[in-house]
This record gives sequence, C-alpha cells and structure tokens, in this order.
Amino acid sequence: MPRRRAAFRQDELSHGCSAGRGLGAGEGRVEVLRGRRRRRESIWKFPFLFWKRLSLDLLRLKLSKEALTNHQVTSYSSADSTFPAKVDHSHHKGTSHMAYNSTTVPSHHHPTTSASHSHGEGMHNMMMHMTFYFGFKNVELLFSGLVINTAGEMAGAFVAVFLLAMFYEGLKIARESLLRKSQVSIRYNSMPVPGPNGTILMETHKTVGQQMLSFPHLLQTVLHIIQVVISYFLMLIFMTYNGYLCIAVAAGAGTGYFLFSWKKAVVVDITEHCH
Amino acid sequence: MHFIFSNEVVLLFDFWSVHSPAGMALSVLVVLFLAVLYESIKVGKAKLLYWAVVSMSIPASQLTEETDQDSSGSDSPPVSTTRLRWLFCHFGQSVIHVLQVVIGYFMMLAVMSYNTWIFFGVILGSAVGYYLAYPLLSMV
Repeated sequence: MPRRRAAFRQDELSHGCSAGRGLGAGEGRVEVLRGRRRRRESIWKFPFLFWKRLSLDLLRLKLSKEALTNHQVTSYSSADSTFPAKVDHSHHKGTSHMAYNSTTVPSHHHPTTSASHSHGEGMHNMMMHMTFYFGFKNVELLFSGLVINTAGEMAGAFVAVFLLAMFYEGLKIARESLLRKSQVSIRYNSMPVPGPNGTILMETHKTVGQQMLSFPHLLQTVLHIIQVVISYFLMLIFMTYNGYLCIAVAAGAGTGYFLFSWKKAVVVDITEHCH
Repeated sequence: MHFIFSNEVVLLFDFWSVHSPAGMALSVLVVLFLAVLYESIKVGKAKLLYWAVVSMSIPASQLTEETDQDSSGSDSPPVSTTRLRWLFCHFGQSVIHVLQVVIGYFMMLAVMSYNTWIFFGVILGSAVGYYLAYPLLSMV
C-alpha cells in the first residue's frame, strides 16, 4: 500500500494520472529504506537538543530583558563561554546559527561580524512595510536603482512583474515536458493491482533515468537555476507588501498556469492515461 | 532580525494587530487553518485534474467506438462540447492555482513577521494539513 501511495504522490501532483513513474526496484528500495531509517533516528538526537537549548535560552533572554538589564546580562554572558562551543559543535546541523548570534547582541560580549551584520540589517528593515498598502510613491523594487515614483512607472512595473510570473509558470511546465521528452533507458515493471468488479489488472510502471553528463541533464540544471532565481525574485517582490505588485504576481501566476498548463493537460489526457 | 517570543504582532494587514495572549492564540489558530487549507488545496487540485481527465476520457472512448462504425462526418459536435467542458474545467483549475499561490505567499509573509508563535502555527498547520490531506490522494 505505501508503494502505491508514493507513486500516486509523485504523479498526481504533476500529471494527475495514476501511471507510475520511478518505481523500478520497488522491493529493493523498501529494504534499503528500512535499514537507513534505523541509522537516521540516532542522528536526530543532536538537533533536538540544540533546539531545546536554543528555545530555553531565548526564553531566558526574554525574562532578562524584562528585569534590570545590567545585572542579568553579566550573569548571562558568563554562561556564554560554554554556549559558543555547543553552537559550533552542532553548527553544521543547526540552521539558525545566525539568528542565535544576533540574540547575543544585547550582551555586547560577542564582537563577531555576523552580529554587526545582522544589526545593520535590522536598521535597514525598519523602513520596510509590514502590512499591505496601495501606493506608488517611493517604492523600491529588488534593486537599488529601481525606484517607482509615478503612476506610469507603477503601471510599467505591474506589466513587468505580470510577465515575470507568467514566464515562471511557463518555465515550470517547459522543464517538465523537456524532462519527459528526454527520458532514456526506460524500464518496465508490471505489478498486479485489484481492479473494479474484483478483477485483477496488470499495471505497468516505467522507471526512467538520465545520464549525468548528458546535454538534457545540463540543460535541466541551468533551467532549474533560472527557476530558483526567478522564484526568489517573485518572493522578494511579494515581500514589498505593495498591493499592486502582489496582485500582479498572483494574476501573472494564474494566467501563466492557464495558458501553459492547458497544453500539458491535454497531452496527459491522450498519451499517459491508461485506457 | 531574529525570532522572538512576543504577544504583540501586526500580521499582513493594518487591522490585524494583536496585543493580548488571547488575540495571539486566535491569530495562531487562523494561521494554522490557513496552512491546513494550503495543503488541502494542493491535494484538491491534483484530485480535480484526475477527476476531470477520467470524466473526459470516458466520452473519448465512446467517441472512438462511434467513429469506427459511422462515417467521419459526425466527428465535430462531440469534440467541441468536450473542448468547452475542458476549457471550463481548466479555468476552474487556474482559479484554484491562483488561490494556492496567494495563500502560499501569505504564509511566507506570516513567517516573515518573525514571531515564534506564528511560525509554530504555520509549521503545525502544514503538518496537520499534510497528515489529513495526502491519504486522500491515493483514494479513488
């Protein structure tokens, strides 16, 4: 049952069809995963301890801020000498190392570059909007030279963001179709599944693979990088909290999905659905 | 910028400002519900596409049986109605996609408020939504 669910999860989200993809050595993979899971459980102990210590120290910091600051801070900074060792030990496992360094800024006993960098970042972010607003005066868009000051510039930015979101959706669909076209070494694996009326159907799954240094895979990698960068740009544009630009992102995504996924859905209908 | 435990936050809109623990609890519940909705929309879109493809392919198989027996003159009316149905279905899918994009961005902005309670609400909502919605994907 879990194998079938995995096949469905990979495909339903992209093709909406129950034809499986990537289930070649089904049994072998389950065995390997079982062995791997046992080893994985012991590794999770360390990040859990790290997060527990982090949350306890954040709580302690909050309490110390409410009381008289100087007295509490010196007692906290004396305990600091043990803490960096713990942080450095699990540095490659913890993800918010920078966040933790910035919480030690009030104690002023950590003259690290990361602390001063986050302090500088905090000063800049105070000028950011934190709620949605509609306006076109002095809107900074992604880069320092791009500042919107008039309605005409806002209209141009609206169109540009709309086209960017549409291009992002198109790029996603294009990557999928390119991947499907460039499949090599297709392996077939049949397994019996219960069909309607108590009959047994033979469902055929294909595994597909790609060579690592082949041109299709390199092209996929380049397109993936472009997709990641554009998705971060769209996220940053949405983060300006400007109502017009957010509407442009949402409308562009919807229009792009409508235009580009239309063809993909028709292709799925004819070629991949098992009749 | 760092995560803080606080009972005060302004979330997404000007009118959504929280000052008390009760308000914070309510906000966390709303954000949790939003995350559950996001996960279920993802599953719902896939299910809708699957259901549409299945319902479209049944008339298509009947159509192939008819064209085997009749001449090719009776081809155009069934194809146009199928196309129209597919257009409506795809338009509905696009609307759901826009809703998914907007809710995804709202959740990102909620996490960006750097309030730890809200962050826990988003994570918990994603977990609960995934837990409830993904088994429905394999059910036919």
